[in-house]
Amino acid sequence: MRVLLYEVRRLSGLRSTWFVLAAVLLADAAVAAVLARQLPAGPLSAAAALRSVTAVVPLLPLPIAALGAGALGALSYGHEVRHPGLAASRVACRRRLGLLAGKLVVTGLLAALLALGTVLLDAVVLRVSLAPGVRPGRLLALSVGGDPQALADGARPLAVFAVLVVLAGWTGLLTTSLVRSAAAGLLILCALPALLEPVLSLVLRLTGRGWPVQVRESLPFQYGLDAVRGADLPSAATLLDPVLLTAVLASFGLLLLAAVLAQARRRTL
Amino acid sequence: MIQITGLTKIYRRGRPPALLDLAFDTRPGMVTALLGAEGAGKTTALRLMVELERGQGVTLFDGRTYRRLRRPEREVGVLLPGGRSSAGHPGRRARSHLRMLAGAVGVPARRADELLEQTRLATVAGHRLRSFSPGMHRRLALAAALLGSPGALLLDCPTEDLSPRNTEWFHSFLRSFAASGGTVLVTTRAPQEASDLADRVVTLDRGRMLADQPVTDFRRTRLHPEVAVRGPQMARLADLLTDQGARVRRDGGAGIAVSGVGRTEIGELAYRHGILLHELADRVVEQPVPHPALPAASGRSGHVRLRTGRAERDQVHGDHIHGDHVHGDHVHGDHVHADRGADRGADHVRTEPEQSLPGQVEPHQGLPDHRLPDQSLPEYLSPGHLPSDQVLLDQVLPEQALPEQVFTARTLRAVGLTAPHPAPQSVQPDHRSE
Repeated sequence: MRVLLYEVRRLSGLRSTWFVLAAVLLADAAVAAVLARQLPAGPLSAAAALRSVTAVVPLLPLPIAALGAGALGALSYGHEVRHPGLAASRVACRRRLGLLAGKLVVTGLLAALLALGTVLLDAVVLRVSLAPGVRPGRLLALSVGGDPQALADGARPLAVFAVLVVLAGWTGLLTTSLVRSAAAGLLILCALPALLEPVLSLVLRLTGRGWPVQVRESLPFQYGLDAVRGADLPSAATLLDPVLLTAVLASFGLLLLAAVLAQARRRTL
Repeated sequence: MIQITGLTKIYRRGRPPALLDLAFDTRPGMVTALLGAEGAGKTTALRLMVELERGQGVTLFDGRTYRRLRRPEREVGVLLPGGRSSAGHPGRRARSHLRMLAGAVGVPARRADELLEQTRLATVAGHRLRSFSPGMHRRLALAAALLGSPGALLLDCPTEDLSPRNTEWFHSFLRSFAASGGTVLVTTRAPQEASDLADRVVTLDRGRMLADQPVTDFRRTRLHPEVAVRGPQMARLADLLTDQGARVRRDGGAGIAVSGVGRTEIGELAYRHGILLHELADRVVEQPVPHPALPAASGRSGHVRLRTGRAERDQVHGDHIHGDHVHGDHVHGDHVHADRGADRGADHVRTEPEQSLPGQVEPHQGLPDHRLPDQSLPEYLSPGHLPSDQVLLDQVLPEQALPEQVFTARTLRAVGLTAPHPAPQSVQPDHRSE
């Protein structure tokens, strides 16, 4: 509990936190507006709407909100390394692990909030700045209300997006805990999707499955590849495909294990 | 109460240890100063105490190691600037920084405001740390260390590079903290500061503990007032002063350092003889610290292998132990201090250790009283551990540890030490007679 209080006070007392949050939301809104302008005339497709709402750009290795969450996680740990407040009281390993857990919780919550904020803001922006010929149909009525089936279909990719943002925040925190530098941690976070995505998609292809549609939409590399290939989407597997779940959880679990082991070897954060 | 036992740190095998077997206690109500030059191992000692570094030895805070303390911030306040001058993130404001740490320590935010008042930072509490001076940073770090209202404080060079005003504030704060029953351990480089601030002074030199003295002893034996005089006719003045009974030594090109005569008397003397003076100033010099000879690697002391860069000097030291200068004194029961006056008169106070060691028995005033043979001996000197080197004797039985006492070979046996073997010629008759 003390750790959470400390972490919340730490985050809210820093200008960089607010700066990152504001920058992410602004960039999201801008991207959403640009994407909305470029939509072809005709009824609004679910995939296109999702891309605008989550502001996924093929240029960036991760969605903007995920990058922001990763930056917050990286800065959170980098702050402890560069300006340790009570270095001596972090000598005991369990206290450091406690602090790490507290940071994971707070970063995760903040990342989830950031994802939610992104989606809401971008939905508004999309609604406002749709190109004249595009008919939103019932897609944007989701938030207002609608039949439960449509709500579930629309909400699932958004949930995937939120999980992606939270995972990015945690990954930023954990990679920084391994390299003890916020910049290096963030760079590794940016490099990871470029390395992991193709490998994972190769593995998935070998096992005879593709990315589920919902995941495809929020992964920029896949999105880019699809755009280049002309996007013949394979049939949508369920989101909780065991292989995919194992692959994602295993890579994150390995990272967590490495971070815990690194803490056990150290004396300071 | 903090009990420090056997702190040892060796950075690389084969190198001289950064800290060797440091052992002392600090008691509530007292300020203990750890005095040593740059690189003497003060910071290493503090970091070892809170286990920020790996090393040997145990430090007990009221019977527990730092790691085992349930709420370390509530029992020990630690101020380890560790080379960084900043107390926290430069973009934070002092109040929010301290409140954040209060959250981590588990005390209400009110306590943070109290401490800002107490460290005279209340007026600047809303400013960012970027705009803080080194003194303000240091006070804020002290406030952070005090958040949990600890009973003991460990401070690493709290007054280094601070203005005299801040230094004075720190001194009065630490004195009052100790007076209210707290335990304070500070490190410092300045002997003058140690004598002003502390009740007990532990002297370190290149990782070895040289002395653990009450401050009165420290002032008497290690600090030495003298007058620095500078001018064109110093040779003449030196002659006059020597006639007056003062002790004079050369100090730089056109200067002398005088002890035994006050500043005003020197000024009057110079005026009466028409000698021009450019400078006449009081100062306090530190006595040269004695360098105890070290046990050479005996192969029996576990993995602590010592190889010092001062092997030759040790050799010299070892030699003069065999000479009758020391042993003769001990065994025949002469008063140890007998001929010291003459010795020191010849070659005054501030001789460098390099020059003073060979041929002269340097006053080792520094050694701790508790090392008298009837009390605890360092553990590597226990009978089973005793290497055959004679050199050790110099550590156990330094003549200065016995200010007014007489040392005989019998005392040696009483502690369980055998007499040196082979004994010098002059000693042998005595041995036989016993």
